[in-house]
Amino acid sequence: MAQVVSAMALTHSPGLTGWFDRAPAHQQTEAKRALGEMRDRLAASRPDVIVLFSNDHLLNWPINNTPEYTVGIGAEHVGPADWYDEWLALSKYRIPGHPALARHLVSEGARRRLALSYLRRMEFDDGVSVPMHYLNPTSSIPLVPVTMNCTVPPIPTPERAYAVGSALREVIAAYPGSERVAVLATGGLSHEPGGPRYFWVDEEFDLWFLDLLKKGDHATLLRECTLERMEEAGSGGTAELLAWILVLAFTTGPAEVLAYMPAIAWRSGTGMVAWNHFAS
Amino acid sequence: MGSVERCDKTLPLNEMIFHVRRDAALRARWLTDLEGLAREFGLSAEEYAALRDHDVRRLHELGVHQYYVPQILRLFYGAAANSNSHPALAAYQRAYPAESERALRLQAELERRDR
Repeated sequence: MAQVVSAMALTHSPGLTGWFDRAPAHQQTEAKRALGEMRDRLAASRPDVIVLFSNDHLLNWPINNTPEYTVGIGAEHVGPADWYDEWLALSKYRIPGHPALARHLVSEGARRRLALSYLRRMEFDDGVSVPMHYLNPTSSIPLVPVTMNCTVPPIPTPERAYAVGSALREVIAAYPGSERVAVLATGGLSHEPGGPRYFWVDEEFDLWFLDLLKKGDHATLLRECTLERMEEAGSGGTAELLAWILVLAFTTGPAEVLAYMPAIAWRSGTGMVAWNHFAS
Repeated sequence: MGSVERCDKTLPLNEMIFHVRRDAALRARWLTDLEGLAREFGLSAEEYAALRDHDVRRLHELGVHQYYVPQILRLFYGAAANSNSHPALAAYQRAYPAESERALRLQAELERRDR
């Protein structure tokens, strides 16, 4: 039975690698500190594998077919995708996969009525590349990437993301190996990629959302943080927080907020959180 | 719901961008033969004109998925150092002057306050 040993969430905005130095010095210092702390916490939990929940920005799937969830089941993951490497200012990385666990998610998920698409060769943009650059810099921890669609309508609801998280928690617990699993969520906070408010950050929403996480009351969060509320705070981008809500289902109790920066320069509300207790 | 809901999922331009981004040969043709590409992917005259003119607002109005619009601009202007002062993003300031100005004012305010 696999065991969850770490649960954290962070922003993956492209500016965090692509034009890091364009934010004010105090935001750079704060981001580096929080990302360093996340890396240390991750290492201290001695994970055998990271299951990372991100979103597909119309990279792997064309607009005529956008599965709700997709699992990368390959033996190795190579990124960033061509053309995105220049945007993210990152050179190519190769991270080992964990095909046995990834394939278990897909097949065992299906037995539990969860439709997970899969790709043997997945492409990676900021959603996976930015968190791996900071948290898995030597690519030593195997990775199972899981992307969701929160960009192309219809966008799933927070209730749905939480329900999928709860189901995946059971699927991972049912894995026959004894792997120590770190679950990571990436995306958010408020931003509107490519929309009329492309350069906007809704600090009030971000602080309110982080406060709900600090309170650790899942039912209240799901009642108050509706999809409509997320869309108001930045359409087509803030809903990346669905990945955080999915990972919330792996946890109990309050989240620790490690940092928050309303970093318009990096083009999103930028936050890092960690949970200390895991749902069984 | 927000602006992302305005997207026309069946717009040929939305199919075209997906393929161009993934293919180095098509990316090169973007700069030399945009009109030919537009024809091959079945774009309407309006879609082609909005693309050619880098007209962010018109692209939105036609139903281009908003996530694709900055990618369209990067295909024209280059993807490196895509910060808020990148020439590609001046197209947003032309299309949405009020929103952009308000956002950049907020940025200055936030950065001053937190220092």
